[in-house]
Formats: sequence, C-alpha cells, structure tokens
Amino acid sequence: MTAIENRSVPQRLRAENLRLSFGAVQVLKDVSVDLEPGRITGLIGPNGAGKTSLFNCLTGLYRAQLGRIAFGGVPLETLPPHRRAALGISRSFQHMALCPDLTVLENVMVGLTLERRSGWANAFLPLPSGTREDAMARRKALAALESLGITAVAEILPAELPPGTLRLVEIARAMAGNPKALLLDEPAAGLNAVETRDLMRALQRLIRPDLVVVVVEHDMDLIMQLCDRIYVLSFGQIIAHGTPAEVRADPEVVRIYLGGDDD
Amino acid sequence: MSDLTQTETPPQPFANRALDPKTLATVALVGLLLVLPFGAGGYLIYSLSLCFANAIGVLSVSVLVRYGGEVSIGHSFFVALGAYAVAILEKQAGVGFFVGLPVAALAGLVGGLVFAYPSRRLSGIYLAVSTMALALALPEILVHSERFTGGFEGLYVALDPLAGLPKAPQRYYLALALLVLVCLALARLRKSPQGLALLMARAHPRAAEAFGITRGWARISVFALSATLASMSGAMVAVASSAVSPNSFTLWSAIFLLVGSVVSLNGLTLVPALVGGAFLTLVPNYLAGAGDWVPVLYGAVLLGVTLAVNSASDLRRILTRGGRP
Repeated sequence: MTAIENRSVPQRLRAENLRLSFGAVQVLKDVSVDLEPGRITGLIGPNGAGKTSLFNCLTGLYRAQLGRIAFGGVPLETLPPHRRAALGISRSFQHMALCPDLTVLENVMVGLTLERRSGWANAFLPLPSGTREDAMARRKALAALESLGITAVAEILPAELPPGTLRLVEIARAMAGNPKALLLDEPAAGLNAVETRDLMRALQRLIRPDLVVVVVEHDMDLIMQLCDRIYVLSFGQIIAHGTPAEVRADPEVVRIYLGGDDD
Repeated sequence: MSDLTQTETPPQPFANRALDPKTLATVALVGLLLVLPFGAGGYLIYSLSLCFANAIGVLSVSVLVRYGGEVSIGHSFFVALGAYAVAILEKQAGVGFFVGLPVAALAGLVGGLVFAYPSRRLSGIYLAVSTMALALALPEILVHSERFTGGFEGLYVALDPLAGLPKAPQRYYLALALLVLVCLALARLRKSPQGLALLMARAHPRAAEAFGITRGWARISVFALSATLASMSGAMVAVASSAVSPNSFTLWSAIFLLVGSVVSLNGLTLVPALVGGAFLTLVPNYLAGAGDWVPVLYGAVLLGVTLAVNSASDLRRILTRGGRP
C-alpha cells in the first residue's frame, strides 16, 4: 500500500463550458462539471444526452471545440488519451474492451503498461530485471483482482466468463495502475440484479480520499444508492446537479425521467 | 464472494510446464531432430536446414498476423535484406555468419522501421499492397546494383560459420539452434509487457490508448520485429543454401511465406513453424517430379487447410453446444 502513501494532494477533475458538435449536431452545450476526489460522482441522463461524449472529452478520445478541462490544475484539452492516462486518468468502456487472447490476469496487467520500464531486450531474453518486474506486475494485478473479489478467475480467458465478472475485470484493469481518477462508462450495462449488487459493493470498496470516481449509468437505483453527487445531462446540457436527494426532488429531472415519454 | 476472494495456492512456475504434454512433445521433437543427421541422407539434411531457415521466415509473417493483425505479401524483401547482408559481408569484408547474422538482423530492423513509419496508418489490404510493392521492386534493385549484389548471378556464400567442422551438419545444427532460440524468444514475448500491449492494441486500439499504448508504437514495433525476424531467416537461408540470387526472392517467395504462415495457422511455436517451413521447402523439393502440378497441389493443400480450419471451429461449436444454434 506504499502507492497510497506516495499520493500527493488530492486533485479534482474539472471541465468548464465544454462544447462539442459533430457537424450540425450539438452534442455538448457549455457543459461544466467539477469532479471531486474521495467521492463517487454520478452522471445520468436519457439516451443520447451526451454522457459518453462528455466521458470521451475527459479521457481524450474526443476533442471539445470549446471549453477547458483540467486535472489538478494541469490543462488537458490538447493531450492525447495516452498522455492523460499517464497523469492518472483511467477508464472502463461501455462495450467491454478486454483482449480475448489474454487471460484475466494478463488483461489486468495491461493496465500497468505505463508503469513498466523493462525494454525490448527483456521481452525476448530471460533477464533478471525483467523477471523481477514481471513478478511485481503480477502481484499488483492480483491485488487489483483481489480488491474486487475475483482472484479466482485470474487464469481464465474472458470468453469463458459471465458479463458481470468481465465488468469487474475491466474495473480491476482500470484500478491496477493506482489511478487518480477512475471513469466508469455504464458499468452495470447488461448485468442482472445480483451482478449489479455485487458491482455496487465492489465500487463502494474502491473509494479513497484521493481518488476521483465518475460513473455514467442508466440504472437510476444504482446511481442513487452509490453516488455522493449527481449531474443530470439532457440534450447536451447539465440540467441539474447535487446530492441524490436534491436531484430526485428536481422538477426538471422528474419531468424527464418520470413525466415524459421515456419509460 | 468469499469463495472468490480466497487466494489460491501460489503458482509454481515450472511445475505445470514440465508436465505439459505439448512441451514434452516439442522437447522430444527437438531431441529427434538433434540425432537425425546421424541416420539420414545428405539431401534430407540439406533440405531440413533450409526448412529450419524458412520456418523462421514463416514465423516472421505469423508475428505480424498475430500481434499486428496485418498481412504482408512482401516479406521476401526483408528475407533478401538478411541474405544479401551475409553474402555481401562475406564478399567485401571476408567475415562469416556470426558477424553476418547480427548485421542482417540490424538491417532488417532498420528496414522494417523505415518501411513501417510512413505506413503506420495503413492497414488491411492497403498495407498488404504496399508491402507487395517492396517485393516487386526487390529483384530489380538486386539486378541493377550488380556491383554489390552480383546481379542475376547472385553471390556465393562459401565461408563455414564454424571453420574446420563438416559443412552439412554445422548448417543443420545452426539453423535448428536459431529456430529453437527464435521460438523461445517468441514464447517469452507473449508474456512480456510489450507482448501484452501489442495484443491489446490489436484487439481494442482505442482502449489500449487509455492505458498508454499508442497505435503508432504498436504498429511500428510489430512490423520492425517481424522484419528483423525475416532478415534473420534470410541470413540463415543464405548460409544453408550457399548462395543468394534474385530468383530466390521474388513476389512468389513472399506469397509462399504468407501461405506457410496460413498453413501453420499463424502458430508461433516450433511445430507450426516447422509445418510452415516444410510447406515452403520440403514439399516443392519432393514434389519436383510432379512438374506443372506443383502449383495445383499447393493450391489444393491451401484450400484444404483453410476450409478444414474454418469448419473445425464450426464443428467444435456444434459439438460443444450439442447441436443447438
């Protein structure tokens, strides 16, 4: 747990006035969010509200045309995804992105790529430094699996596992490198009730005072139980934010989620 | 959850590997190949030396397919780079294989980087066609730079790697040793951070970026690695066949390398590599009597393998699911 002690001052992830459009379609209209460490922030909204687009702007897959993004004061707008990853921003994917050729443990070890220093010589020759580093990476990956309670599947290929476990593997991979911000894109999509409950427990165990956790979700129950703060997106705009109780009481949110033609 | 969180007994690194029947079979095969020269004829030994050298070439294409998801129909270029490096070094500087091999590998690495950098955004059919341009240009380059390459005639490679020992066995054992070493290195690559990163980048390039693996790095690395292996294969081919000439490095040689890789199911271990190498070397040698039928037989085998492999996965699915869709 030395990695935790080495942490510097907790950093917040902020976006200000993000504007993103694809051609004539405005996907994000002046979206601002302030994501604090030590708590879980939820991002909800109907389909097509721009949740994943906002996510992709934060992680660098999309470039917002206007607006600012900063992590602990470091501007991110122009950094490509791998540079943002190097700053400690980690994510999971809505459509599972595990490599089918790699075992669960190896997939999680991919999450440690940025930490690894062994060069190409180590890739081909059994040099002691590379072997030591491999053992360390395995230990860290196993620790990440253990923190999510799935050590038992370490040596199994993803194709043989149920979606609930695969989600946890994705989160383990995102957590393996001890990130400072963890962005989870619909972690409960495609999971049954039991799997969702396990997922929620696992996520609650991940909270650390220095870790920004953001969850994009459709599942209202999950979000309401899990999150400390919630942002509600609709048609590319933040229409409400606050604690779960505040958001639930917001008339605009009620209209969108309960009164409209949305089920 | 408690049953899942329990840590299993610590893995014992070599306990499983030693008992693995596949590993045992491979070790037995290497043992057999080691004693073979004591009982086999000269022609078989010569053919097998070439087969081992070509097997490395097949592995180079398989690396590109497995780790890069790309296909090359121009790897004869990099094979020739290695082969001519050995031959030219011998002619101009009088140095033998043990200097030639590292120089050949370096030439392949540099050649691979020089080709891969501008083509790092190409994939699929576009990359394949641009590699084909390499293979097409190669014989012309070789013929026109006659002063170094010996033109149509090519060059002889006469120096024995290990002076004083009989020619045929030393080529055989060197080629076998190089092939086994390449297989061991590739087995290690699969477990290395670079290997994991390349496989991840191949499966989900955008997700890989989120973990610091850039697409450009992955594509350039895998191509350079593949080209290096191809050049090492070329160096060994030059020594095993005692000569290099433009005839041995045509577009057809490049296509056969790819065919060898397909027939070996892009395997990166010894047995598939030998199957691919045999397809390139032994089959044409022993089918030489069939004359014009050789391409037809090749085609038939290729079709057979492709169909069998594709239906095999279907068959397995039907069997394991008890016939349900």
